[in-house]
Amino acid sequence: MHHSPTLGRLALAALLASTAATSAGAVELSLLRFFGDCQADYGTVTDMTKANGECGIITALTNKFNAENTLGATVTAQNVEWGAYYDQLTATYSTGNIPDIAVMHSSVMPNFTSRDLLMPLDDAFAAGGIDKADFAPAALENATSDGKIYALPFDLHAILFHVNMDLMTEAGFVNADGTPRLPASPEEMISMGKEFKEKTGKFYIASEAQAAEGMLIRLWQSFMWQQGVDVLSADGTAASIDTPEGLKAAELIKALYDEGLANPGLDYSGAEQAFLNGEAAILINGTWGVDNYNAQAASGQAALKNYSVANVPAIFGQAKVWADSHMWVIPADPSRSAEETEAAVAFLKFLNDNNFEWARTGHLSVRTSVINSPEFAALPHRQEYAGTVEAATALPQVQNSRAVFEAMFTDFNAMWLTGTEPSEALASMQSSVDRILRRNR
Amino acid sequence: MSALQRPRKGRALDLVILGVTLVVAALWLLPMIWVVSMSLKPNEELMRSTSGLLPIPFTIENYTNLMRVSAVPLWLFHSVVVALSMTLMVLVVSSLAGYAFARLHFPFKRTLFVLTIAGLMVPEHAVLIPLFTMFADWGLHNSHTALVMPRVAVPIGVFLMTQFMRAIPRELEEAAELDHASHFTIFWRIMLPLSVPALTTLGLFTFIFAWNDFLWPLVSATRADMFTVTVGLASIQGNFAFSEGLGSVMASAVFASLPIVVLFLIFQRFIVAGVAMGAGK
Repeated sequence: MHHSPTLGRLALAALLASTAATSAGAVELSLLRFFGDCQADYGTVTDMTKANGECGIITALTNKFNAENTLGATVTAQNVEWGAYYDQLTATYSTGNIPDIAVMHSSVMPNFTSRDLLMPLDDAFAAGGIDKADFAPAALENATSDGKIYALPFDLHAILFHVNMDLMTEAGFVNADGTPRLPASPEEMISMGKEFKEKTGKFYIASEAQAAEGMLIRLWQSFMWQQGVDVLSADGTAASIDTPEGLKAAELIKALYDEGLANPGLDYSGAEQAFLNGEAAILINGTWGVDNYNAQAASGQAALKNYSVANVPAIFGQAKVWADSHMWVIPADPSRSAEETEAAVAFLKFLNDNNFEWARTGHLSVRTSVINSPEFAALPHRQEYAGTVEAATALPQVQNSRAVFEAMFTDFNAMWLTGTEPSEALASMQSSVDRILRRNR
Repeated sequence: MSALQRPRKGRALDLVILGVTLVVAALWLLPMIWVVSMSLKPNEELMRSTSGLLPIPFTIENYTNLMRVSAVPLWLFHSVVVALSMTLMVLVVSSLAGYAFARLHFPFKRTLFVLTIAGLMVPEHAVLIPLFTMFADWGLHNSHTALVMPRVAVPIGVFLMTQFMRAIPRELEEAAELDHASHFTIFWRIMLPLSVPALTTLGLFTFIFAWNDFLWPLVSATRADMFTVTVGLASIQGNFAFSEGLGSVMASAVFASLPIVVLFLIFQRFIVAGVAMGAGK
């Protein structure tokens, strides 16, 4: 019996929630996303200057839209843990509560567009006043499939070289303009690494090396593009992995470990810790880390004091780097009303108008007008890696590209974890990926 | 002389066993202590270093932040409803089936029993997609029914109850039969009270399983207001929570496992007995 007050309160809460949802004139929109839940800190924040981090900024933007839009629309976010996100999004098409707006990586979009699960947005962009000419070409390409736009590009996130300038200075690897001196060829990367280790006794490179994030696959893929090779063909039927270019890139990455220039025992957090504790000069990680490392360096608590960022150098020739995009889509739902669609498009327009706020997370803006704006230039370190926008290489619009990515990294990491030869690792990667691509034909 | 030496030798052996037990217990406990300790450290600090078993610097912010997520009580409520009703139903179904297989005579009994036991060999993931589609067709997702029903028919529960009831002396039943007791009366008045140890074990394991269940609730409950506590707590994590929000993740883990820990402390005797019973059969 003593349970009943709690039960009663919950029943009342549920009743109130359902009444609120059906009150007249209101348009209720559901937003499915990852980035976490920070209602506790940002539940009522609409002042963008008070919001920080991916979770804080998207939460405040949602609040702001709810407070300011004239359509009477209310967007309610539903958060899903990032690892389970796409499983749950897919499940909503069957469970019947398809979200009105959802976040999506460009690398995943083909799985949805090929099954007509997303609403084409060309007309909506025109009607809603979203200028597609302002998008960086790679970003717009990421959002396009078969000539139609299916998503609002929101950012480009690429891998970067995060640099400890104190260690670079100690090794004498600083240019006259104060930027870090980085290698321009594979041979130089090894020789500089050796020289660095001799002078400082520290690791030259730190990177997630245990497969969970596939960070070194992203680096290897960048090295492939730098040699003019697309790992996956545009039509998604062929993979160029076990190739002379692939071998050169793989041999370089393996040599970093064989020569003791990087610690093979690091996972994602371990690599970050090594970098923050001043045990490695260069951390290979994404744009999403910039603001965190900047704050850690500024806090005075970390051994890293003098933090800088650099584009992944053109070690194999062309300036190219792995990049993905966070984008917003409107999942196809025959039961969605015209008012709801209009409000969903208005929310996309609002997000696009506030793209600069998202760029404060460390991700690169996809809007050229934002990239060229003085506000963007004033953000910490952004100028140091502005070149990454142009070097960012759009992933081919290929189904199962995430499965391809995951199939590659186990064999790839075996090079330093179990001592597999690069040629063997590549042969094994090639056959695993071919097996997946056969399903695409 | 020799009479004095034996106990000393025995005591030495006891000390060795005690020492080994302590070492093994410490090995098991260390990760738990580490988890609790990390849950009491600031996230920024953990990004730099996760070493050390003492929570210095100390903060309870990870827990207060968790409490400020307004949906947490609702998720706890769903978990309690799902775990309790699943436990109850598993006990009813398994004990009834166990009694039938152990004591009653009916056609195809052996075949049915073998079929039930064969269910043990079907991995959960093999039936996930058909199960999901079935519940989607019936429009049952995002409901307590969907969270509980697929877990009610548990082969291991039927097997456990059958084996246990088989071992109950027949004489007790025969005495009741002389008094013209029906099958149900025998089941209710004799078999069930005698099966309390097995029922407790099965009930506890079912409850723990239901509480920790993740995959099925994840795909079936797609609305945040229908999440169980495991799915809910996972949903509030940021993208790189394992590095940027490690303290919060650990606080979630401690928080979600507290009911199970309390349950274990209360019913420890039965759980240990249950494991021993499983091993003996």
